[in-house]
Amino acid sequence: MKTQQDLHVATPVRESLALTKLAGTSIYLKLDSSQPTGSFKIRGLGHLCKTAKRGYERFVCCSGGNAGMAAAYSARKLGVPATIIVPNVTPNITVEKMRDEGATVIIHGKVSIAYGQELVLAFVYKGKATHLWRSSKELEHDLKEKPGAIVLSVGGGGLLNGVVEGLRRANWADVPVVAMETMGAHSLHAAMEAGEHVTLPAITSVATTLGVAKVSAQTMKLSQEHPILSEVVTDQEAVKAVERFVDDEKILVEPACGAALAAVYSGIITRLRDERKLPQHLGPVVIVVCGGNNISLEQLDKCILTVC
Amino acid sequence: MAEVFHLKTPLLESINMSKRVGTTVYLKMENAQPSGSFKIRGIGHLCQQLARHSKGVICSSGGNAGMAAAYAAQKMGVPATIIVPSSTPPLVVQRLHDQGATVRIAGKVWDDANTEALKLAETEGLTYVPPFDHPLLWEGHASMIAEVTASLGPSVKPGAVVVSVGGGGLLCGVIQGLKDVGWTDVPIVAMETVGAHCFNAAIKAGKLVTLDDITSEAKCLGAKTACKQAFDYSQSSELTIISELVTDQQALHAIQTFLDEERVLVEMACGAALAAVYSGVIVRLQNEGRLPALMGPLLMIVCGGSTINMEQLTNLKHKLQS
Repeated sequence: MKTQQDLHVATPVRESLALTKLAGTSIYLKLDSSQPTGSFKIRGLGHLCKTAKRGYERFVCCSGGNAGMAAAYSARKLGVPATIIVPNVTPNITVEKMRDEGATVIIHGKVSIAYGQELVLAFVYKGKATHLWRSSKELEHDLKEKPGAIVLSVGGGGLLNGVVEGLRRANWADVPVVAMETMGAHSLHAAMEAGEHVTLPAITSVATTLGVAKVSAQTMKLSQEHPILSEVVTDQEAVKAVERFVDDEKILVEPACGAALAAVYSGIITRLRDERKLPQHLGPVVIVVCGGNNISLEQLDKCILTVC
Repeated sequence: MAEVFHLKTPLLESINMSKRVGTTVYLKMENAQPSGSFKIRGIGHLCQQLARHSKGVICSSGGNAGMAAAYAAQKMGVPATIIVPSSTPPLVVQRLHDQGATVRIAGKVWDDANTEALKLAETEGLTYVPPFDHPLLWEGHASMIAEVTASLGPSVKPGAVVVSVGGGGLLCGVIQGLKDVGWTDVPIVAMETVGAHCFNAAIKAGKLVTLDDITSEAKCLGAKTACKQAFDYSQSSELTIISELVTDQQALHAIQTFLDEERVLVEMACGAALAAVYSGVIVRLQNEGRLPALMGPLLMIVCGGSTINMEQLTNLKHKLQS
C-alpha cells in the first residue's frame, strides 16, 4: 500500500490590495478556494476518509454540497467506492461533478437535508478539528506575524471549531474570530443572543451551504470560551460581496463565502474597530476564503435576481 | 537567506479538463501569487539580487510585471516607477498606484514603454527590471517546476507542459525548471494568440522577427519580439517545443469556460494556454502525431494576470463576439 499524501493542499495566504484599501487595515486572504473540489472541506473530510479507510468497503456521505464533493474526491483518490446521498434540490451539475469523481449518487427527498447535514457535521467536525489546525500552521508560516483577527463564515460551525483549535495550538488563543452568517442561516448568532443552543425554525437564506438550523454543540461551547464576534449580513450583502470579490481578486465563490467577505465589503471590520470590539492597532486580519464549488456566473446572476 | 516574495501555489487536478483531453490535467495555480501572476517569482528573485541597495526600480510593463515589480519594491522598501503603454486599462494603473508605485504612460505598446524605461534607468540611476528577458527572471520562474515535482511525488512526471508565450520569459523559466529536475524530455506546448505571435513568427522565419504591431486583445502577450533565449530553445534538438496559435475568440471562450468550471478569472494571455485544452489543440496535436501519446499528466501553467475584471470581460465579449 502506498503512503498517502494529504488529500488537501497547503494554500497560499496573500494580502488583498483591494480589501486592505477598503478596510483601512491589512487584510489577508487564506485561499482555501484553491483546494481540490474548491472548498476547505477537503481538509477535514480528506483526513477523515484517510483514517477511516482501513477496513471500510465504501464511503457514504449525505451532502449535496461541498462536503459531498470532498467525500467523492477523497474516495476516488483513496481507491474506495463512494455513495453520495443528495437532496432533490441539488443542481444537476453538482450531481454530474460527483459522478465524474466516480461516486454513485442517490437523489433522495428534501427531508434528508437536515438529517444529512447533521450526520455530515458530526463526522466532519471530528475530522476538521484534527486537521484544520494545520491550516493555522500554514498561516503561521506564511504570515510571519500574529493575526489581529480571523474572519470566517459559519454554517454548522465546523470551520470555526477547527480554526479555534488551530489558534490554540499555535499559542494564538487570544486572537478573536469574527463569525459571519447570513440572515436566515444565522444559527450561531441566534444561539448566542438567546444564551442557549437554539434551533432556527427555517433556513431562508440563499446561502444554502450555511443552512444548518442548529449550530454544533462544540461551537456553542467555544462561543463561551473564545473571543468570538458574531455578525450577520443580509443575503444582498453576501451576494454583493461575491460580485465585488470576482472583480477584486478574480475568484468566484459561493454566497456562503460572501458572508465572510462582507465583513470588509459591508464595513463590519471598520465598525467593530470603531466600537472598540476590535483594537484600533490591529494585526493582519485574515479572511478564510472557504470557497465553494456550487457557483457559476449563471448561478450568481440568479442569486442577484433572487435577492434584489 | 534572502526572503522570497512569491508563494508556493496549489497544483490542482481539473476533472473537466481531464475529461476533454482523455488524460489527467493538473493546473499550476499561479493566479494565486501576490500581485496576481507567476511574474513575482522571477521579478522577486531579480530584485533581491540587483535592487537591494537601489535608489529605486523601474519597470516597463503592460501590467503584470509592473505589479510584481511594485510589490517586490514595496516589500524591500525601495521606490518603484512603472512605465506602461497607453493600451493599459485604467484599473491596472489604479492597482499600480495602490501598490505604492509611480506610474507613467509612454507609447502604444510594450516596446515603446520599454525604451522609455531604459532611458530613465540610465538618466535617473534606477535599477531596470526587465519584464521577461533576463536569466535571473528565468531562474526565479524555474521554482514553479520544483514545486510541481514535490506535489506530484517521486514517481510521476508530466506528459507535457502547456504555457502561454508573450516575450518568452515564462517559457524560458519553465525550461530552466525542467532542466533543473532532469525533465528536458517533457514536450512543451507554447501557446500564443494570433496578433501577438512573435515566437511563432520567429520559428516560421527561422530567426527572431519583430511584429509590425500587436493586434490581439491579449495585451499582456504583446511583445513584438520574443527574447533570444526563447528562440534559441526553439532551435535546440534537446527540447520538444510545439508552437501553436489560437484566435482571440478562442482565448476569450477559454477564460469564460475556466471561470465557470474552475471559478477563477484569468486574463486573455492566460486564456491562450487554457485554449490548448478547451479548443482541442492538445487532442489535435496528438491526432496529427506531433505530440506523442502522453506518458504522464498534462501540466497546465495557469499564469493568472490582473488586467481583467467583469467589466473587461463584458467589453471583450462585445468586441470579439459581434
